[in-house]
Amino acid sequence: MKFHFQGGAVEAKDGDTIAAALYRHGQRTFSRSFKYHRPRGLLCVRGKCPNCLMNVDGIPNIRTCITPVRDGMRVKAQNAFPSLETDWLSITQRLDWLMPVGWYYKTFTHRALWHAAEPIIRKVAGLGEVLTSENRSYEHSWMHCDRAVIGGGWAGIEAAQAAGARGEQVVLVDDQPALGGQSRYRKHAEKVSSDRIERLRALPNVRILLDSYCFGLYEGNLLGIVQRNPHPGAAERLVHLRAQHTTLASGTFETPLLFPNHDLPGIMLSTGVLRLVHLYGIAAGKRAVVVGARDAALEISAELREAGIEVVATVRADQITMATGSACVQGIQTEVGRFACDLVAVCGPQVPDVGLAAQAGGKLTWSAAHAAFLPTGLPAHVSLLGAAAGEGLGGIPTPVPPSKRVFVCLCSDVSSQDLCDGIAEGFDHIETLKRYTTATMGPCQGRMCQLSAIGVCARQTGRSIAETGVTTSRPPNPGVTLGALAGPSHHPIRRTPMHYAHEKLGAVWMDMSDWKRPRYYRTSSASAEKECVLAEYRAVREEVGIIDVSTLGKLVLRGADCGKLLDKVYTHRFSDLRPGRVRYALMCDEGGIILDDGTIARLSDDRYFVTTTTGNLEFVHQWLDWYLAGSGWDVHVANVTAGYGAMNIAGPRSREVLSKLTDCDLTSAAFPYMACREAEVAAIPVAMLRIGFVGETGWEIHCPAESAEALWEAVLEAGRELNIRPFGVEAQRLLRLEKRHVIVGVDTDALTNPYEADLAWAVKLEKPDFVGKAVLSRAQDLSRERLIGFVLRGPGLPEDGAAIVADGALAGRVTSTRHSPARQAAVGLGWVKVAQAKEGASVDVRVDGKLVPATITLQPFYDPEGGRLRQ
Amino acid sequence: MSFLLPCPNCGRRSVYEFRFGGEVRLVPAVDAPLAAWQNYRFHRTNAAGVQTEWWFHRSGCRQWLYAVRNTVTNEVLEAYLPGEKP
Repeated sequence: MKFHFQGGAVEAKDGDTIAAALYRHGQRTFSRSFKYHRPRGLLCVRGKCPNCLMNVDGIPNIRTCITPVRDGMRVKAQNAFPSLETDWLSITQRLDWLMPVGWYYKTFTHRALWHAAEPIIRKVAGLGEVLTSENRSYEHSWMHCDRAVIGGGWAGIEAAQAAGARGEQVVLVDDQPALGGQSRYRKHAEKVSSDRIERLRALPNVRILLDSYCFGLYEGNLLGIVQRNPHPGAAERLVHLRAQHTTLASGTFETPLLFPNHDLPGIMLSTGVLRLVHLYGIAAGKRAVVVGARDAALEISAELREAGIEVVATVRADQITMATGSACVQGIQTEVGRFACDLVAVCGPQVPDVGLAAQAGGKLTWSAAHAAFLPTGLPAHVSLLGAAAGEGLGGIPTPVPPSKRVFVCLCSDVSSQDLCDGIAEGFDHIETLKRYTTATMGPCQGRMCQLSAIGVCARQTGRSIAETGVTTSRPPNPGVTLGALAGPSHHPIRRTPMHYAHEKLGAVWMDMSDWKRPRYYRTSSASAEKECVLAEYRAVREEVGIIDVSTLGKLVLRGADCGKLLDKVYTHRFSDLRPGRVRYALMCDEGGIILDDGTIARLSDDRYFVTTTTGNLEFVHQWLDWYLAGSGWDVHVANVTAGYGAMNIAGPRSREVLSKLTDCDLTSAAFPYMACREAEVAAIPVAMLRIGFVGETGWEIHCPAESAEALWEAVLEAGRELNIRPFGVEAQRLLRLEKRHVIVGVDTDALTNPYEADLAWAVKLEKPDFVGKAVLSRAQDLSRERLIGFVLRGPGLPEDGAAIVADGALAGRVTSTRHSPARQAAVGLGWVKVAQAKEGASVDVRVDGKLVPATITLQPFYDPEGGRLRQ
Repeated sequence: MSFLLPCPNCGRRSVYEFRFGGEVRLVPAVDAPLAAWQNYRFHRTNAAGVQTEWWFHRSGCRQWLYAVRNTVTNEVLEAYLPGEKP
């Protein structure tokens, strides 16, 4: 396998991670630090520290030490220019005196300064580049189990085995590619034999998620788990794991010992060195110095020698004056002399990984016996096992010398001197110190630095470590990509039953909630939107047009108490609606605010057909159900939106077209305006509603969805000789605007009551009770604004939201405008103060930055008497 | 928020399947003073403790139900359909 790195090709062996392959290749510097651009090399080699973050195939901040190599991948260094080895910005190290702790707060005291400096700071500091486009795919999955075990070391394997044997459904999660924990690379760790792992794998009720890390334990014992590369088609899978019981066996991780220049490449945690040796077969160096307490140092020395690495000295951290070297460690300077070396193995304190336990509600308390913070008071459904519970831990914390060259926080280059300065400036509580210095706030989330920072804080303030305490642990930790949280990019699209017929007719689509609707139809003779819309408009006004209105919300109500329910939730009365009649329906909330509108047809005594606006169906359905809940009323509400297709045939010749297809008497005497009939059209059973949103004689026809396309084609065929034309949403909006019909949510907002929207006629205050009556019966005098129509007396077309000006002062705003062919002028709807809403009054409307005079009208712009509707 | 809600129809389900419908409160009479309606519409008890709430099982049985929840711990003590108080 080969991959690209900084213009060259790097060879990798099977099972290599990117970092392992690079290390074998001779790479020692893996990143440049956040602020001072210091070279940083491998440290933990298990995904816990910030040192190996690189850009892989365009994705920033990939932990290369745990990311397996794929053939041909492109790996790039971050935050280094021109290269990792020579980074010009490492000059900032010499300027550290310019950047004391709290530098931002102290320097950018004026806003202009910050605006000037921010773009530069963004370039020279920070972590990688933001990903602007993402083509990897992510998945979500949901799992349930009796027991989740976090950690696949010996403790986790034992727990999973025991629970599995009891018959529990178990999910075992480990962030490594194989089970076994530290025994995979540490000779003296508790051994996990391979047949023990095989026995566990053989249990059918134990599921093992490898290469997966748990980033949070949430309420209800919900675990957030990211599975890396679950299959070749997905980069990451987010598993929502719901467990009855969670066993945390997350073990420990090693942390650095601090001395000046302890962050040089080549200075690694002992477990990091051992991982390179045992997992990847890489002798990490030739001559090594081992740093640490005596027993641990001797143990590691023996293991290094076995691996063929010469150990030149073992020293304690407090004996070291400094580490020397520039690009890589070259020696360790101690009180007793200098040891030349190319590798330093640091046996640092083992810290129990108890972040999840803290998230579960455990309180982290210092245990001097274990030299660690351990959780107490865990809830009953969470337990802690093994090294994470403190087993086998102990020792004495090593003091951290105050120095500009001792970087407690590797993520954002916070030195022990910075921490001391912060404390001297008064930030002496561990939580305020964290926020002021940003220590523990970087990508490693305090894993590498928390214990040292607490140590510094304790010593400087003269408090004990127990008194100093820890900062709060919050999810997600470790970090999660936004892609994993967002999941698969899935945008549902709803298509009407006539969708493909529209496509053949040249529909230009628009989105309306999840639906696709034809905005207008492109024809062979006309392609510009304006031309097409005008032709569609003329067809409806002069001959006949047809529009797909299947997206309307459609509810069928059945039962003896339907009228009661509708009287309650709509402002108009529906219990007295005669079968075969239709009424406009307006819905308000308890505050008298308009929620939705539509029509309600009474098909028979106990059967009502309710339409809602396209986007409000779900809301209206839930609203009706809420008023029914517990009422004991005999009403059944069924949502038939997807089951029915609907179309509106409108225009002076609509009757002529439909008469060809139905026996139903369509004359106004037999089928007047606002009537409805169940009939057959083109041998398809339909409900016909004679209503007129567009202001012409017309029928809204609802039919079973499976027949809708056939009916659509039949009507077009029957209307061909009468010049029928399909029309889209744009023409419909123009037609309705000329009739001054309101669109709820466009012309009304979250403060509009029916009086203001000129819909008082739809409110029946004489009804004993309905939703909103309490307020509406008293609101008539409270209205402050009024929805008016206006005709522009000059050129141009105002935009939605344009200002309406009266007497030089702002009077209101425009909500809808179109150029009206009927009035040969721009017309629109808008809001003005009640006092200004006078028929014939003159106002100014802002068009392209200029004020254009307009005349207010409270009448429809077209056919004000509504005669054409009733023809 | 990731607690489980015991739907009387569907059993224990993730709260994400539900729509919250607010605390259950007495609706004022239609002729009650405007102040009572104002209080009903705009003010909440916002109890820190146990309260009865409306929930709608949107991604399940699509029923409105009552849930008795401790707002501090998010523990749902019981849930039942309106008119079917156990």
